Amino acid sequence: MLEFIISKYNFWFYVVLMMIGLFAMLAKRNLVKKLIGMNIFQTAIILFYVSIGVKKGSVHVPIIIGGHGHGVQLIHAADYLNPLPHVLMLTAIVVSIATTGVALAVMILIYNRYQTLNEDEIIHIRQARQEAGV
Amino acid sequence: MKNIILTFVILTGGFLIYGTIDMPAWGDPQSPANSYVSPRYIEQALEKTETPNIVTAVLADYRGYDTMGETTVIFTAAIACALLLRGSTVGRKESE
Repeated sequence: MLEFIISKYNFWFYVVLMMIGLFAMLAKRNLVKKLIGMNIFQTAIILFYVSIGVKKGSVHVPIIIGGHGHGVQLIHAADYLNPLPHVLMLTAIVVSIATTGVALAVMILIYNRYQTLNEDEIIHIRQARQEAGV
Repeated sequence: MKNIILTFVILTGGFLIYGTIDMPAWGDPQSPANSYVSPRYIEQALEKTETPNIVTAVLADYRGYDTMGETTVIFTAAIACALLLRGSTVGRKESE
């Protein structure tokens, strides 16, 4: 039982982190807090993927030792961490930066139009403006 | 409303934790993610791409076109931000 917990507990932390992000996205009414929730969610996924590439034991980061032209020994795959999750998460980080930037830009426009970032207030102001025929 | 969301979130988290029971153990060198394709990349990256850093080799050589498409994503995001924020400053009313 203890062995089972030790071999799985890191995944549980990522699930908890992911659910914090999901809760923030669903329950918070402030748009910036929703965006922060989305970023926490993405961070949990990135941590999860990077942790998949871990190998226990005496392993190196995925940079070949002596790879700059002098004395490369035979390369054993078991001596290096799995590089593929790292690469995939590099792509995911780029996408998350792009979405965050565009979302913040849209929020600035929303703030300029409604003078608030609270969803309920925005809906209220919209209804009031529609009734006034603006 | 908040209670419904909390129940939903806890339920989803419970299902996800239930799903981790079938995951391979953390740091297992024989796990599926570490055993099929990745040894080939680790063993052949230096020989085929002359790049000691395997992450760089995969990103820029094996998946070079993907990375080029990624720069398109960043470029599109930058253009979108520039067009959205053209001539606007924070806190200024639209009517002004």
